[in-house]
Amino acid sequence: MAIRQIRTIGDEILRKECKAVKEMSHRIRQLIEDMFETMYEANGVGLAAPQVGILKQIVVIDVEDGNQYVLINPEILEQRGSQTGPEGCLSVPGKHGTVTRPDYVKVRALDEDMQEFELEAEEFLARAICHECDHLHGDLYVDIVEGELMDNGEESEEE
Amino acid sequence: MTRAATGSREIILDILLEVLERERFVHDILRQALEKYQYLEKSDRAFITRTAEGTVENLLAIDQVIDQCAKVKVVKQKPVIRTILRMSVYQLLWMDRVPDRAVCSEAVKLAKGRRFGDLSGFVNGVLRNVARRREEFDFSDWSLRYSVPEWILDMWRQQYTDETVERMLQAFLADSPVTVRCNLSLAAMEQIVESLEKQGVRVSVSPLSPQVLCLEKYDYLDRLEAFRRGWICVQDPSSALVAAAAEPAFGDQVLDVCGAPGGKSLHMADKLRGTGMVTVRDLTEEKIRLVQENIDRTGAGNIQTEVWDALEFDERWEEKADIVIADLPCSGLGVIGKKPDIKYRASREKIDALISLQQQILSVVSRYVKPGGTLVYSTCTINCKENEEQRKWFLEGFPFLPENIEGRLGEAVKEDTLKDGYVQLLPGRYPCDGFFIAVFRKIKGSKK
Repeated sequence: MAIRQIRTIGDEILRKECKAVKEMSHRIRQLIEDMFETMYEANGVGLAAPQVGILKQIVVIDVEDGNQYVLINPEILEQRGSQTGPEGCLSVPGKHGTVTRPDYVKVRALDEDMQEFELEAEEFLARAICHECDHLHGDLYVDIVEGELMDNGEESEEE
Repeated sequence: MTRAATGSREIILDILLEVLERERFVHDILRQALEKYQYLEKSDRAFITRTAEGTVENLLAIDQVIDQCAKVKVVKQKPVIRTILRMSVYQLLWMDRVPDRAVCSEAVKLAKGRRFGDLSGFVNGVLRNVARRREEFDFSDWSLRYSVPEWILDMWRQQYTDETVERMLQAFLADSPVTVRCNLSLAAMEQIVESLEKQGVRVSVSPLSPQVLCLEKYDYLDRLEAFRRGWICVQDPSSALVAAAAEPAFGDQVLDVCGAPGGKSLHMADKLRGTGMVTVRDLTEEKIRLVQENIDRTGAGNIQTEVWDALEFDERWEEKADIVIADLPCSGLGVIGKKPDIKYRASREKIDALISLQQQILSVVSRYVKPGGTLVYSTCTINCKENEEQRKWFLEGFPFLPENIEGRLGEAVKEDTLKDGYVQLLPGRYPCDGFFIAVFRKIKGSKK
């Protein structure tokens, strides 16, 4: 287990398309473990593989709803409604901005055992899924932020 | 992704910047924000609403406090900084449940977040000063206590007793429930009330009109079945008295010359029970679109819209209307309870311009009334120059007589002026906005 370095905006790797995972391997299992560890260490609620420099379609999410989601090769099947709210990204440190996302998404993905599953999500989890899936296609929330990016206040830096 | 630290206070700051620095209406901006940030908890929405509205409502007193406690006066401060100070002072002095320390640190955070880190010390210093000196502030002066500019108070004091004026001022600051008028051609009263109560809304009937309901305890109007089906339209009970005062008869041709957003016209159409025709006009496409939305929701068939400038004479309508409704642009001083920004933006000069606009429009639209037909002039203001004197001016120069409207407005409205065809409704005296209605009948055989 190891904490990996988080790539930040300006790093070209964040802008690249990720490849689908064809089969599970020991190294990928290790990567997923590391991604969770790195995310928790940085107080994030979601992390995509390109953020630690790996161009694979892997996302980990923990929005404190009691689940650790691993989405491999995720594909958003349906989306509905809209929610507008604040969003930040571990690859854009110290900032946040207002982003409008669907309020509901249905996603199909593979789990760590390469078993296909579907997940329906609303509200904050739906936001996190959209944010992380965007990373797999080289998209960052700063591309769709409404208004200006704002600095996190000093006290809120570690939130 | 991270959970960003934006909270209610950032939203409040953005709302107030729009309202206080860009002259937008607080009720509009607030509604837009709450629609946009639907993820917010109910308690957050209540906090945002109360802080944004409260800051605007009490702005004169708040600015006085800031000027007393800051080296740089409010007018010279940067817009972001003065807005942070204003909303924070409101929380310090008007909201008991927010601890001072939280207000100060949140304000500092806001300043840093908006790249005014170098002024965060100033913000912190002013707010701590305000908190420390809270007992010193004296709001005995009405202009400060009720946050109404002195010249408006003078105007009202000339016309009414101090007691009446103060009751009015208190009513403006008091919470008033949202009121809706029921479309009785679509559903029975009992059915509407039952549907609302089933969705958890607390409903009571307005003392001013049995057709108007006061609603409390709901989140979004457009999630209410009764609203979506067009059974209810948001309307103040005072404005719902216009159709009552006009007393339309089945089959009437009604022309509403400045009708957006359509409340009075839809009420007319409802009263006509599908007969006759109500034509709603207003100046811009956008306003007419608002009317059309409301019409579509109710599905009324005896109402149509048209973009038309009321100042322009339309000969097709000459002596064609049984009833003309002229609810004209006015200073709006009767609705400052709901739209507190109006009281700071009004001015004597603007009012003079409105008075002449009202006269020009009345000169044009009175020609549309059939001999024997009715003209209803109304405003949502409390100002004798726009109301009583305007009525007098009209009666002197045009072939109309005042229409006795005793009994038309129901049990609750009791004023001697009703027999002379007009009424000035005052908040505090009646549970409604400040509103003026005058009804005239065109003399038969007149040629003008």
